[in-house]
Formats: sequence, C-alpha cells, structure tokens
Amino acid sequence: MRFRDVRPLARLEVQELLACRASWLLLLLLGPLVGHAFLTAVSLYAEASGASGGPAALAQGLSPLDGIVVPTFGAYDLAVTLLFPFLPIRLVAAGKESGALRITQQLEAPLPLQLAVKGAVLVSGWLIAWIPGLLALFLWRSAGGHLHGPETATVLLGHLLRVGFAAGLGAACAAVAESASSAALMALSVTVGTWALDFVAAGRGGLLEALARMTPTAALRTFEHGTLKVSLVLVFLTLTFYGFALAWAALVPGLSLKARLLRHLAVSVAAFGLLLLASQATPSWDVTEDRRNSFPRADEAALRTIREPISVTVRLAPEDPRRLDLERSVLDKLRRIFPSLRVVYSASSRSGLFEPDHYGEIWYRVGTRSGMCRSTTEPIVLEHLYGLAGVPKPLDSNDPPYPGHPLTKQPRGATRLLFGLWPLATGLAWIASREPWE
Amino acid sequence: MAARLPARMLEVRGLAKRFGGLMVLEGVTFDVAPGEVLGLIGPNGAGKTTLLECLAGLLPLDAGEVLMDGRTLSPRSLRAALFYLPDGISPWAEHRASFVLDTMAELLGARDALPLVRRTLTLGDVLGGRVASLSKGQRKRLLLAIALLAPRPYLLLDEPFDGLDLSQTRTVTRVLRQHAKETGRALVVSIHQLVDASRVSDRLLLLSGGRVAGQGTLEALRERADLPGASLEEVFLALS
Repeated sequence: MRFRDVRPLARLEVQELLACRASWLLLLLLGPLVGHAFLTAVSLYAEASGASGGPAALAQGLSPLDGIVVPTFGAYDLAVTLLFPFLPIRLVAAGKESGALRITQQLEAPLPLQLAVKGAVLVSGWLIAWIPGLLALFLWRSAGGHLHGPETATVLLGHLLRVGFAAGLGAACAAVAESASSAALMALSVTVGTWALDFVAAGRGGLLEALARMTPTAALRTFEHGTLKVSLVLVFLTLTFYGFALAWAALVPGLSLKARLLRHLAVSVAAFGLLLLASQATPSWDVTEDRRNSFPRADEAALRTIREPISVTVRLAPEDPRRLDLERSVLDKLRRIFPSLRVVYSASSRSGLFEPDHYGEIWYRVGTRSGMCRSTTEPIVLEHLYGLAGVPKPLDSNDPPYPGHPLTKQPRGATRLLFGLWPLATGLAWIASREPWE
Repeated sequence: MAARLPARMLEVRGLAKRFGGLMVLEGVTFDVAPGEVLGLIGPNGAGKTTLLECLAGLLPLDAGEVLMDGRTLSPRSLRAALFYLPDGISPWAEHRASFVLDTMAELLGARDALPLVRRTLTLGDVLGGRVASLSKGQRKRLLLAIALLAPRPYLLLDEPFDGLDLSQTRTVTRVLRQHAKETGRALVVSIHQLVDASRVSDRLLLLSGGRVAGQGTLEALRERADLPGASLEEVFLALS
C-alpha cells in the first residue's frame, strides 16, 4: 500500500464530488426534507405532551427516540435509498466514460486503495449532509428536549452503516454496468429487491425471514428500535466491503473474461462466508433509556440461571397481530438472553382464519419439559417459563420506572434554519466552489 | 524532465489478440531500444490502439509475450514498466488543468519534474482553465504532460499529434525526440499522419490487418517495398 497516495487521491475524489451537481442538489434538498420531518415530529410530540390543551398521553410513552430522533433521521433513509447511490455511480462511471480510469488504472496506487479512498470520501461527505439533522437535534435540545446519548448514537450508527452499504452498492453497479444509467437501474433494482424480500418474508420464519432481517431497511429498523447488534454491524460492513470488492474485480485491468468471472466468484464466495459468520455473532445491547428491548433486570438474572435449551413452537399465522406482539414483547428479548433459542412457526396459512383446532397455541420446551401457553403478554409467558424450568419467580424488579420526556415547547428557528438558511448556505457554497470564469 | 532511466530493451514476441471471433493482432513481433522513438503506423483498424493497450497491460494477451531484458513481463509488471496515454479521452473535465496536473504529478511521484514539463510543453495558456474548456490541442498537451511525468522506462502514446496545429505539432515532435534522447526512455507512438511519423520516429513499425507488414527505418522499408527513393506514403500503400 502506498499511503502517501491517499492525500492526492482523496483530493481528486473530493473535487469530483464537489464538481457533481447532484451532490449539491442532494445537500440542498436535505434541509427541507429534514426540516419537514423534524417539524412534523416536534408538532406531534408536543400534541401528545398536551400542548393543545387536551389530555397528555402517559408520560412513560413519550420517548424522544421514537418521537423525534427516528422520524427526523428518517429523511436521510429516503435520501440514502433513492438519491445517494447516484454519487458513487457518478464517481466510478464518470472515470470509465471520460477515460480517467484508463490513467488511474496505471498508477502505482493500487486499485483497492483508490476504491477505499472513494468510499471514505463518500461516507465522509455524507457526514456533512448530516448537518441539518444534527442541527435539528440541537434545536430540540436547546428547546429543553431530552436525548439519550446511546440510543441517539445507535440510530446514527445505523444510518452511517446504511450509507456505507449504499456506497458499496453504487460502486459495484457502476463498475459492472456499461453506463451510468444502467448502473442506476441496477442499484434501484437491488433496492427494490430488498424491499420485496422484506415484504415477502415478513413473518414467514426460517431462512427467508432470517435473510429479510439483514436487509438494509430491516437492519436500520433494529437500530432505530434501540438495539445494537454486532451481527448487523458486521453484516453491513461485509456488504459494504463486498460492493467495493466487486467493483475492484470489475475494474482491475488486463484480465480475461474467465479470470474476471473467477475473481467475481471468489469475492462472492468470500463475502457469503463472511456474511454467514457475521450473522452468527450474538452480542447485542439494548441501548434504550426505557429498556424496551429487555426484560426487567431481576427476570433477566432469573432466566440466566436456566441452563437447559429452550425452544418455542408458535401456532400463529404471519398476519396474526398476536404473533408480532409475541415477537416484540417476548421472543426478541428471549433471544438476547438465549442466543441459541429455537423458534418454529407451524401455522400453515398467512391469515390463520381457517387453521385447525390447535391454532393460537404457543408451546415452550425447556430441556425435556414442555407446556402450552396462549398468552403473548410478557409476565404471563415468563411465569410459564419459570414453571417449566423450575426456577423461582423473582421478586418485583427494582428497575426505576421510565419517566418519559414530554415536551410541549416547540424549538424556535427550525423553519428559518432548515428551509431558508441551509438551502441558501448550500447554494452559496456551490457558487463559491465554482471557478470565476464559469 | 524526468530523471534518466536505466536502459532496457523491450521485446515483443508473437503477440496475438482476438475479440470474439475477430483476430485483431496476430504474431506481432518487434523490439524497442532504450532512447528510441518507434512510430506505429497503419491504416484504420490495423490494431494500433489494441497493440498499445495490450502492451500497457490493460488488455489481456491471447498469445505471445513481452520481455524486458530477456524476462517475460506479467500484466502487473507491464503496468509498472510502461505508461500508456490513450487517444480521445477527456478525463477530469470539471477540474482546473493545473489541479489535474499537480495531482497526477504527486500520484506519479514526479513533482520535481513538473516545472520543466510545464515549460517544455508551454502549458502556460492551458493550466488556468477548466479541462472541459480547453481546446482539443490544449487538452492533448495537458495529457502529454501527464505521460511525460510518468516515471516509466517506456511510454506508449496513442495519436499524440491529433488535434494539434502545425506549430504545436512541431513543438511536440521536438519535445518527444528530446525527451527520448535525454531520459533514455523509449517511446512507442501511434501516428495517423505519415508526415508526423517520419519526423518524430527513429524507426517505423507498419501494422496492417493485425500483422507486422514492415519495420525499420524509412530506408529499410523502402528496400522491403522495393521502392527506392519513394516517400513514406508510397511505401505505406505498397506494404499495407
């Protein structure tokens, strides 16, 4: 590796990014996009807090994670999904079409280094695009709003990993496709494909659902729910690496078609292996302030004393709301304590309307003992599990109750800043970046 | 200009290249000596550009080998020994020419040679503008500067005179000859205009239909064509 090449390469890529009008347009649009998301979220949050004089929702239900952070940064998900891939496509495809690639392929700086610099510049550039979102959070704080550091940081991490994936996807598509427009179509197809997988696999269980949990949208949702899963971080990083590795295999010069296909195959096999390994990583943390993804601490301690394997057979159809309830309030939490928890879904239809008699039963097996419980309510299921495992039910938890953070006050200046000043500053910066003769 | 590079003989042996069912190069064999300017001439579709891209390691060879000092070069070592300047490219169009040249000089590890190359190619009128706003000839000179900065023993230039006016053509001809002489680099230059080819080249390699139809000095080619005293154009037509 020639690390002394990093600086000039980065300079070149930064200039390419600055010269690309799409990146300025994207930056400009983000102000109003984030502004709209933030102001809507703040207004709804204030209403729920009783701003309009009506009864306030229960304070415990008012979490800034769900109410402010996730919707505000939701604007970025839209931009990253639909617009951001055009930037890596522009960086790679422009080089191919203009002939710059013919020259950079001959530099001593190896191609993987060149691609890594491209990726780093893209992701760093995206951090600038975060300014409106961060400004919105700053305004929220300055209005007296509450933010819990770990959960906010986890959402940001999810978005950052999502951008890395989009950069890798764009680079791979641009490297493989013949033109920028074909690359854009390819990238869009992959995105739509992951949405389709998300939709088709929802609640089906098995490999399909496990795969669907790893799609960018679903993975980001996990971060937004306040769960930091090592497996998802590794999967995102592997997919990003895979995208750039595919781009490398497509751009390395002097290879016959067979040798190039073999490289693609080797890269894909390696990525698949890494993805399998990554998905097996079990550490995960509930970073939410209200511990929504965890059982009470006393229950967690009691459950950890169970040494026998636990399996669950669920006779609930994918579209049955009880199944979603069970997943969220029981199974997800159990998985964090028992990474090897085995869950089998045995309903044969999607809606459950015409299922046989035993529909609705949920069977728990702890070691050799098994028992049925129809409830999807956390305390009832836990009591059932304690009974099967022969573990005494813990005394009431000493967890302090989540106070909630209602706020009726609305941040001032958000409209001016995000709808006016940000687009204006972006426009001026674009003009300043152009040369005087233009 | 770039420092003098160690003298090495480049040998091309039986090089062949096929695109699908079309044989583009077949049995191409020639040598290039250090400090020599070899003019690559031939009609359209003769395989000149393909030959240069194969030599530069950008296209895989179907047969044959390229040797330097008797040792076969792999595609990677080809890229380390030769620098190829393609024709008809317009890279980094949105950037200022001086930025492009400075950055490439840094990436090629040739910052020291930059002032001399700028002067020699009289790039003063070029560097202040955006690459997209340069004329074809100005852009050609900018790209030529990048090629001259590349510290490789062999330079492969595809149509370096294309787009240059008469005065610029003469300047570039002089610069290339001087560069080869002073640095000991060998230049393989694909040229469409036969007048330019005869001016810049020490020897000529005539490609026709993907095969070598003749090589040597103009005198040697005349002998081969059995046309004593003929112009290069007549020899070219006779041999191709």
